[in-house]
Amino acid sequence: MDSRDTSDAGGAGRRTLGTSRRRFLQSAGAAVGVASLAGCTQFLSGEDANATETPEFGQIGSGRIGDQIQGGTSMQDMPDLAGELTIYSGRGEALVGELIAYIEDLYPDLDIQPRYEGSSQLVQKILNEGQNSPADVFFSVNAGSLGFLADENRTEPLPSDVTDMVREEFHDPSGNWVGTSGRARTIPYNTESLSESDIPTDIMAFPDQEQLADSMGWAPSYGSFQAFVTAMRILNGEEATKQWLQGMVDLGVEEYTDEFAIALAVADGEIDAGFTNHYYIQRVLADREDAPLATAFTEGDAGAIFNVAGAAVVDTAEDTELAANFVRHLLSAEAQAYFATTTFEYPLIPDVEPVGDLPTIDELNPPADLDLTQLSDIRPTLDLMREVGISV
Amino acid sequence: MAPETDSLFPSSQRGESSLPLGLTLLSGAIAAAVVFPLVWILANALEVGGTTALDLLTRETTLRVFLNSTLLVAVVTAASIVIAVPLAYLTVRTNLPFKRFWTVALSMPLVVPSYIGAFAFVSAFGPRGELQSLLAPLGIEQLPEIYGFTGAALVMTLYTYPYVFISTRASLKTMDARLVDAARTLKHSRTEAFRRVTIPQIRPAVTAGALLVALYTLSDFGTPAIMRFDVFTKVIYAEQNSLSTFGQDLAALLSLQLVVVTFVILAIESRVRGSDTISTSGTSTRGALVHLGAWKWPALALCLGVAGLALVVPVGILTAWLIRGGSESAAASLAFQWEYAFNSVGVSAVAALVAGLAGLPIAYLAVRHRSRASWLIERASYVGYAVPGVVMGLALVYFGARYGGQFYQQELILFPLLIFAYVVRFLPQAVGSTRAGFLQVSPTLSDAARTLGRSPVAAFREVTLPLVAPGLLGGALLVFLTTMKELPATLLLRPTGFKTLVTHIWSAQASGHFGHAAIPALVLVVVSALSMLVMLAMEGYDVK
Repeated sequence: MDSRDTSDAGGAGRRTLGTSRRRFLQSAGAAVGVASLAGCTQFLSGEDANATETPEFGQIGSGRIGDQIQGGTSMQDMPDLAGELTIYSGRGEALVGELIAYIEDLYPDLDIQPRYEGSSQLVQKILNEGQNSPADVFFSVNAGSLGFLADENRTEPLPSDVTDMVREEFHDPSGNWVGTSGRARTIPYNTESLSESDIPTDIMAFPDQEQLADSMGWAPSYGSFQAFVTAMRILNGEEATKQWLQGMVDLGVEEYTDEFAIALAVADGEIDAGFTNHYYIQRVLADREDAPLATAFTEGDAGAIFNVAGAAVVDTAEDTELAANFVRHLLSAEAQAYFATTTFEYPLIPDVEPVGDLPTIDELNPPADLDLTQLSDIRPTLDLMREVGISV
Repeated sequence: MAPETDSLFPSSQRGESSLPLGLTLLSGAIAAAVVFPLVWILANALEVGGTTALDLLTRETTLRVFLNSTLLVAVVTAASIVIAVPLAYLTVRTNLPFKRFWTVALSMPLVVPSYIGAFAFVSAFGPRGELQSLLAPLGIEQLPEIYGFTGAALVMTLYTYPYVFISTRASLKTMDARLVDAARTLKHSRTEAFRRVTIPQIRPAVTAGALLVALYTLSDFGTPAIMRFDVFTKVIYAEQNSLSTFGQDLAALLSLQLVVVTFVILAIESRVRGSDTISTSGTSTRGALVHLGAWKWPALALCLGVAGLALVVPVGILTAWLIRGGSESAAASLAFQWEYAFNSVGVSAVAALVAGLAGLPIAYLAVRHRSRASWLIERASYVGYAVPGVVMGLALVYFGARYGGQFYQQELILFPLLIFAYVVRFLPQAVGSTRAGFLQVSPTLSDAARTLGRSPVAAFREVTLPLVAPGLLGGALLVFLTTMKELPATLLLRPTGFKTLVTHIWSAQASGHFGHAAIPALVLVVVSALSMLVMLAMEGYDVK
């Protein structure tokens, strides 16, 4: 259940973040490449009273996220969309429903039928449906399922002017899929009990850290965590990975059902640190600005992988041009601003910076030469985890 | 067999009469249709090469999963019987105070989807859960572990024992209580009378309920997933998500193993059930009620404990989510709409109707024309019940897309496929209940109608059917209830844009917007509770 990609959508913590996406999108679309982010904190707690304010470039409220949204191509400068589109979305409705509805509302002749299920389930559904699949676009939470679909020859290559909107490491070399937003693996830590220097910069060093004994959290059944262990398996080999898992179990790591709950637990001081995707930390901070919660990164190893959510045109698409142009819209200034400010992911087009207390993409140190699509091969990873007694 | 289990109608000649061809063909066709999706699973499993298969099946994971699953099924089934039979006895045969209330309250857990129950128990009793937070000021740092086998078994038992409770109650109500009184006058102790007279009489009903519990436990995915206990469904799901050939192979083989376990359970039930009792229709006689005396208090405590745990925990947690979720403006697309409730009720009603009709000939044949063929047909109708919804859903997607052509593209066959999936999965509930109905109608009644010049069909319609109707309706209501709660097949097969209460609960829950999950969950519980009340009003399977 937790490996369902839809659960990437925000976690099962007991707190939820109030946002007003419709309002945001209305303002985001109102001006070129602009989002009205009047006071991110109030905005996210649903108390934003600035909906009527005329959004203008650079005109932003409280300082934390400031003038981050800039650059990119507006939807208005993109080809019009007309016709019917069925989108198989492995990204949760709570996260991207408003964005898709916004695009649909923008064009009177566009009819979008979104279908929200887990990314892996949708890939299997497309394969089972064969050439009779109604899917036009597959919108996935990770590169792995996109790569899998491409390997099964079920994708239609995207035009190069769409894939070229993102850096080459974030799209398939043959153009079968393109990343639309990014997520980095991070170490959230409690700033009251630890300082940044207490967090190793080498992921393999964690089991030896006595200061972290009985005070870390992980979510082994969670898809992104399994991708991270898979990266370790690819980079460091099975034996080292098994030892690492066993070492963490021996260190007394606490098990959580998802990573949002870990970020909350770190903020509350229940544990001192954990393993999560970067945006969960930002979601907690958006809700509680003063939380003693900060982000640490490891360097150049499995602990620092940068995966992407992305989209592909399915080979059964009735109108491949329309489908490709929809994907293009996911890389528009508005959509990228939406990902940055609403889902707290890394925008992938140049010039749109992440929101919050995060380094830019260029400042991250993901492992070199790791093929993101390989990270879907969690099969042997599940075995390793089971071998050390973790239920997945 | 002990003499008291013999039918009251001495060896009816009907048992040996030759099978009516039309009816047999019809029932056979229904059973074949129901077993059909298994062909896909079989084909998938057989594609795995022999050595690979052997290798996969003897792996540590596979063995552990097999042991875990069988252990869970055994414990949940046993625990359900241990809880449900005394409760049924208390609410029917004793002077327990507020019997009516307890009957309703103790049946109600059936309307709570077990995954909501599991979530509620984790929220309440898990580490850092609600209860722990409440107790924290008292210095209680940790509660006993809820995850794993204990939690899974506890939650599964609490939400499935009503299958045994309801069927046992019906049987206790219709059995001729004068037999017990007779045994008592023959100087048997109360326990002795219970063992010698009551147990054999209620045994078919208890095993029928236990069979539903066992098969439900085997097929449920949500509870073990939430409780982090590796069973067939959970590992099949994880392996299917791994998107590798190896994982697919393992998933297929585990599904196959799951089907084999199902057959074993069916065989065991067939053994234990023994020969059926047929009671005289409409003349069940109440014996004297057992006076509890001082035992009243422990009896009340048992009722309160079971109903309280199973109902108060989820309703309390849902209400807490509802109150806390009040300020959520998040995810407007997750706002509740009544349409979801109408959709749920709509497909569930159709599924109940179809399952009721499909179960009728099978049940009739199984009771009135006992033979190897009718036995096989009846057993076959149970197999789909244990197949996990995900496996069933994917199999039907495959068939629909391959052979549905344009109809699939235009989603015209998705509703029929969805209904078919429900019928395949829940037909046994209809068959079991209708079968019990037929058992209580004496064949001599329709014989009498025949001698009065009615055709066989007219005799059936005018005499037998009205008497069987409560059992038929009870079975259909059970299918309705279960369909309302079904998730995985609904997710896979529903037409795009078609949302039901559970698919909505699922997306709200998966994204952590619990406040949005609370309203549909409460609506689901209320609607199901209403249909449960209807069922209880006619006292389940009571012919009267």
